[in-house]
Amino acid sequence: MNENVKAAKDMITGYSGRPLRIMEVCGTHTHEIFRLGIRNLMPKNAEIISGPGCPVCVTPVGFIDEACWLALEKNCTVCTFGDLIRVPGTEMSLAGARAKGAKVRPVYSPLDAVELAKQNPGENVVFLAVGFETTTPSACLAAETAKSEGLKNFSLLTANKTMPNAYKALVGSADAFIYPGHVNAITGNKTCIELCEKYGVSGVVAGFTANELLTAIAVTLTLADKGKPFFRNCYPRVVKDEGNPAAIRIMERVMQPCDSEWRGLGVIPMSGMELRDEFADFDARKKYDMPEIKGKPNPACRCGDVLQGKCKPCDCKVFGTGCTPQHPVGACMVSGEGACSAYYQYS
Amino acid sequence: MSENTVTLAHGAGGKQTSELIEKVFKAHFSNPEFTADDAAVLNMEEGRLAFTTDGFIVSPFEFNGGNIGKLSICGTVNDLACMGAKPLYMTCAFVIEEGFSLDKLEEIAAAMEKTAKEAGVKIVAGDTKVAGKGQVDKVFITTTGIGRIMDKAHTSGKFAKPGDAIIVTGDVGRHGCTILLARDEFGIEADVSSDCAPLWGTVESMFEAVDDIHVIRDATRGGVGTVLYEIAEQSNVGITLDRESIPVDDGVRGVCGMLGLEPLYLACEGRLVIFAPESEAEKIVETLKKGKYSQNAAIIGKVTEDNKGKVIMETEIGSKTVLPQPGGELLPRIC
Amino acid sequence: MCVGLSAKVVSVKDGTAVIDASGAKREVSAQLLDELEPGDYVMVHAGVAIAKITQSEDDEAENVMENII
Repeated sequence: MNENVKAAKDMITGYSGRPLRIMEVCGTHTHEIFRLGIRNLMPKNAEIISGPGCPVCVTPVGFIDEACWLALEKNCTVCTFGDLIRVPGTEMSLAGARAKGAKVRPVYSPLDAVELAKQNPGENVVFLAVGFETTTPSACLAAETAKSEGLKNFSLLTANKTMPNAYKALVGSADAFIYPGHVNAITGNKTCIELCEKYGVSGVVAGFTANELLTAIAVTLTLADKGKPFFRNCYPRVVKDEGNPAAIRIMERVMQPCDSEWRGLGVIPMSGMELRDEFADFDARKKYDMPEIKGKPNPACRCGDVLQGKCKPCDCKVFGTGCTPQHPVGACMVSGEGACSAYYQYS
Repeated sequence: MSENTVTLAHGAGGKQTSELIEKVFKAHFSNPEFTADDAAVLNMEEGRLAFTTDGFIVSPFEFNGGNIGKLSICGTVNDLACMGAKPLYMTCAFVIEEGFSLDKLEEIAAAMEKTAKEAGVKIVAGDTKVAGKGQVDKVFITTTGIGRIMDKAHTSGKFAKPGDAIIVTGDVGRHGCTILLARDEFGIEADVSSDCAPLWGTVESMFEAVDDIHVIRDATRGGVGTVLYEIAEQSNVGITLDRESIPVDDGVRGVCGMLGLEPLYLACEGRLVIFAPESEAEKIVETLKKGKYSQNAAIIGKVTEDNKGKVIMETEIGSKTVLPQPGGELLPRIC
Repeated sequence: MCVGLSAKVVSVKDGTAVIDASGAKREVSAQLLDELEPGDYVMVHAGVAIAKITQSEDDEAENVMENII
């Protein structure tokens, strides 16, 4: 343990100020906080809660149903980030569709899906574009690449989301946010600064290593105790105030804001991204003339409340009994980043 | 069908089957006990015997550091070794896909014989079936082995005791990582080779050095993490690991970092997890470090009375957390 | 939400960089960063280099801490 880590850890364990609730809104933060055992270090009067920051967890049931429809009815090769494969849809997950003969392939990058389409002209490749501002540029790069190369067998099924309106929906859920470092690496800090100045919402941008996370939490406790709204960038080696301008530009070129459904939270206006009309040929919903597919989530599942910090995973009736990482009911139990999965595994 | 591939005729039981056996298997598995009859006749020594069987399917069948042939011998040899048994005899059964290269089949047989020789075990009987194109993925092998348990060896997954030290015989997760890279699904390159190795010599050297070893397990599918959970349950004890003392190869660490995977859940094919009284642990590690396949051996944790059935991780920041129980398909976590 | 990988740039050509993370190498898109050079450190997400890393973790932590006390 180096000096910095030790100093930050001492500040956290020694905190004795007013009671605080800190919400991290990034699934990778959830994951690392559990992996490192940071919750066990928290003093009695400061609590870390998990917000809606795992793209797998906020992806609605209907999206999985759409992906299964493309794979089974249209015989598409569905390329996806790994964790989405086990998320339950209304009737089945993508793993279930695969067992029925659907072609489902985990990929590391949307650009790999483009490459797969190029090499297999006979296959109709669909990439499941989920994720926040960090991930959306990679999907946009894929769409632009496919367009410039004139690919006819590649498209995106989009469920991309953006954070600003989600933060506003969450105002009041916590005393301070730990902002997702890699989202801010793209977007910059404007939204967070605005939240602080206009709405009095406090927060820090944090990185993902032990050192970075502990430092960010120590800073949060120190400043939150003073009671004045604050914003600090605790991840300046990666996050610049202006973000990544090229990434912002490509998102604007390829996609446009739209209303978007968040699993458990419902539709948040202008919290999603969809392909612009110029990219209609690469929009799987249009390309395959998809009917409207409405998913039916399991009514017992309280993922929505968990995502808003309204209840803990263990308060949900099916948690740990009907819903386990092996047999997830809600998306929060699927991804290692999901609040329920992390809670189940680590506590 | 070209002459250099396996055909359905090779599996029909007639002349071509005999030729295949002569040319590929007998040519390699040469020892006096290798039988031409319906069953091998063996002279057994007295004492306790260990007897085990294992099926092998791996895609691709060749990988950096071995092939399915080497794997099929190591798997069974290591299962016997974990019981403190010196491997004596093995049988092997092949299911081969029509059209499989005869040259590749020879390479597999050669790797089997080489590995068997190193482990001191004799292949005494075998079987070959040929399945139609697409019915199996290239070649599947099942091996069965019998060994004599050393008098002083009394190991079982049930014998872990609070206070035991937990040792691994080398860096974790290399075989699983090698296969992941060999499938080339994620475009990642790394200089990682399988840890696949026959470990009877490793086990023998430990029993020469110390008397009391409680558990020996080879960490195959599911990796060291899975083995630890199995032992915690079987012995009804808790396990505490020290994150920083778990040996992980740099390349494996890099690949896992890219894909969000935990090295403790990746398969090994040449790594043992050993539970022994703390007083013997240093001596065991010292002995292991002199061995060919265990130079990176390390004590990674201890057995506790509390936290029964769980694996607790002491983390790099001096806190504690539960190691999630591995389960299901290993999927890369990217976003 | 976004597993990031800090990695060293080995080479850059035509908008594609080869990156190295403790021995694991992969091609990633370098189209979102200007003037990337071999030897630079970048944050990689889903096959795209999304940010240049401008200082070490320890220096960063030290600076951040100094600014609140």
